[in-house]
Amino acid sequence: MLRIIGDTNIDFIGMRKKAFILSALFLIVGLGAFTMIILNKANMGIDFAGGTMIQGNFEQPISIGSLRDAVIGSGFTDASIQALERHNVPNSFIVRVKETKVDDMDAAERLLQIINESFAGNTFHLDSEHIIGPAVGESLKRDAQWAVFISVLGMIIYIGLRFDFRSGVAATIATFHDVLVVLGILLILDKELTLLVVTALLTLAGYSLTDTVVVYDRIRENLKKFRGKGQFVGTVNKSINEVLSRTIMTSLTSLTVVVIILIFGGEVLRDFALALTIGIVVGTYSSVFVASPVIVEWEARSPKRFK
Amino acid sequence: MKSQTWRFIITGILVILGFIGFWNTLRLWTMSDEDKARMEERNPGSINELEKKAMRLGLDLQGGVHVVLRVKMEEIEPSAREDAVERAIQVIRNRVDFTGVTEPIIQKQGDDRIIVDLPGYTDAERAEDLIGQTAQLQFKLMESNENATLLLNRIDSIVAEIRKAQKESGELTDEEPAQLSTGDSSPLIEPDTTAEEDDILADLLGDDTLALEGEEGAFLSEANPLTQYLDQFLYSSKTNTPWPGYIVMAKDRKKVENMLNMTEIQSVIPSDVQFAWSTRPDVANAQEVYRLYLLKRKVQFLGKYLENIKLGRGQFQENTVDFRLTGQAAAAFARLTGANIDKPLAIVIDDKVESAPIISSKIRNDGQITMGSGATLEDAQDLQIVLKAGALPAPVEIIEKNVVGPTLGSDSIRKGLISSLVGLALVLIVILIYYKISGLIADVALVFNIFFLLAVMAGLGATLTMPGIAGIILTVGISVDANILIFERIREELRTGKTVRASIDAGYDRALLTIIDSHVTTLITAGALFLFGSGPIKGFAVTLFWGVLLSLYTAVVITKTIFDLRKGYKTLSI
Repeated sequence: MLRIIGDTNIDFIGMRKKAFILSALFLIVGLGAFTMIILNKANMGIDFAGGTMIQGNFEQPISIGSLRDAVIGSGFTDASIQALERHNVPNSFIVRVKETKVDDMDAAERLLQIINESFAGNTFHLDSEHIIGPAVGESLKRDAQWAVFISVLGMIIYIGLRFDFRSGVAATIATFHDVLVVLGILLILDKELTLLVVTALLTLAGYSLTDTVVVYDRIRENLKKFRGKGQFVGTVNKSINEVLSRTIMTSLTSLTVVVIILIFGGEVLRDFALALTIGIVVGTYSSVFVASPVIVEWEARSPKRFK
Repeated sequence: MKSQTWRFIITGILVILGFIGFWNTLRLWTMSDEDKARMEERNPGSINELEKKAMRLGLDLQGGVHVVLRVKMEEIEPSAREDAVERAIQVIRNRVDFTGVTEPIIQKQGDDRIIVDLPGYTDAERAEDLIGQTAQLQFKLMESNENATLLLNRIDSIVAEIRKAQKESGELTDEEPAQLSTGDSSPLIEPDTTAEEDDILADLLGDDTLALEGEEGAFLSEANPLTQYLDQFLYSSKTNTPWPGYIVMAKDRKKVENMLNMTEIQSVIPSDVQFAWSTRPDVANAQEVYRLYLLKRKVQFLGKYLENIKLGRGQFQENTVDFRLTGQAAAAFARLTGANIDKPLAIVIDDKVESAPIISSKIRNDGQITMGSGATLEDAQDLQIVLKAGALPAPVEIIEKNVVGPTLGSDSIRKGLISSLVGLALVLIVILIYYKISGLIADVALVFNIFFLLAVMAGLGATLTMPGIAGIILTVGISVDANILIFERIREELRTGKTVRASIDAGYDRALLTIIDSHVTTLITAGALFLFGSGPIKGFAVTLFWGVLLSLYTAVVITKTIFDLRKGYKTLSI
């Protein structure tokens, strides 16, 4: 039997104070990011904010700096420019701007004009363009809000059916913790909030809840065996230790695939995979260090047998 | 019959169904380009048929154009609004059918939006023209030259006054230098007019700009802010009558437009006339130019009466669109053209002038739409298509446009394929190393899982997108969790000293509830994303949903069936 870890008896609950401080720090950043989204001040991708993306390649090499100077120097001050790694297509770039129209002219056309004028003699081949009008951005935002609302509602109903009140609340806290922490880290990394990032956050919420559910199931099972007084903390600790190898194995396989997407999946999926990678690490941490300690704290304050 | 036998039968049926669902996709995906060419040679159209039956690829994977239109309800009568979107969809479908795109998606979204997906079509501009134009064809007469000249002079003086006032108050610096060059000072004439007519024209018009040169020009440009950019070109040679059709250099068009759009100017343009630009630029005297017309607003004849619309050739072998009229429409058109011989008749599509030929004789049955020298064969074909398909019931605006080139699509497929295969291989290896023979059993289940997933997707006609591929890979990572839960439980049971058989059974029993619990949460997320996601996101939701759902069967039932194959376990490789 090959085992990463043997029978462990780590006092996870004993580390909860440190864990709470760490989580609080990340949560503050996460809540800050969330507030910025509510106030419409976050770094929204063009799918929510509306805007124009063009992607193409030059025949001869150019520096990303010169492209950036040309585009930003022509009035697109909020332009973001990215170099791309493409198979057999060198000198590929993505240019994103928040405008869809400039002086009645398509922003995409204007960008092409700027590029052609600034790099005359070095032909730019357009591979893709995406123009999202502000009205479409608004409705995508609304759809994303609905998707978040429905999945949160669905999960809370599910938790309510499967668990008692306390563990339901604790599981919800752990899930929100994970999503907010990832949101905060993405903000620190200056990533744009796009449809795919929201998708990753929702997927992550499901994943993180799964992890919590597995631990809680075991706590519930073990509580039937250990009914003595003062055994609550020990039982929770024992349960976490018992499912630890599962937690690590599943995190490992999930992490493997998202890291692979991060490396090989290309530009489209990069931020999506990044959010999931961070999310799986945070989700694993929270199922051990947040979800269970929360019910332990609660039980300590107002003792009531955990169902 | 024992439950074991049943499990075999059910799994067998599922595998067969899977192959049926996935067969065409599998055939298409495993074919090389030469195979495809050979198949097409043997049986033309067969590849197309096969592609229709195989799994759909999203625009992000195969390239194509995605356009979202908004029907401008506010611009039509309330009574016509009810089915305007449906009628617009019908018209757009007709137009798209003419382009030969194999599997277009044209559907309503919300109250007033239409989604148009053209897989494999990458000429975005042409697609936009075809889909986006209302194609309201109207025939209009032109304002008389006398009235036009009066109006232009009035506009000149108003603009000049405003400019002067602005200059005095310092708002306008010397941003508007004299634009006159020698190129502007010679009249620009259509290729078919002769030099002799040239002079007549100059004499007739007494056009200031014709004689302008040097400093005098600079001075006059201040007095003629508008007309300095206009060169009259349209006149009837038979009657020696000029008509208000002007050449404007392409570079000056914006300036002219801005002037005409000023509120002060809008208020002096009589309500029964309108300025209208040519549909597209053409070349005159080696310069790119547009043509500007002053039309009478009244619609004389509507394009919907046109029949038998086809491509033709004009007097100078240029591309034209020919049509036929019958019955009352023919009579009306004959009346219109008969009463206006030697006058220009503007052919107007969506408020842009296609051309303004001079009527030479009464036209009853057979008409011809000339398109100006700037039109290509493609332009003529597109005009024919939109006239045949009919006008949109309301104007539309493009509110989203996504064009993905074919190389980008194949690039994405490549990336998706690499990440899927590497991700799958790594997970299979990790599980195999960690759980030995039991791991191998889980690996078999995982392969079944992916196979069933692809089969369901193909069978349901779901669309595979790049995020969808990510969903498949993610399914691999997440669905193996069920086996991990089971195996870890079996290991625990073994450690308590139970027999192998009892441990396996207990492992499955105890883990089952947790597995269902943990999968439900992912299904909820996938469901919400499916309901509200669009395009690529929906593709992700579909693969995640089915992947996780199917894994409940593959990871639990299929692995248990394999474990149960062997009786009397002494040891277990786990």
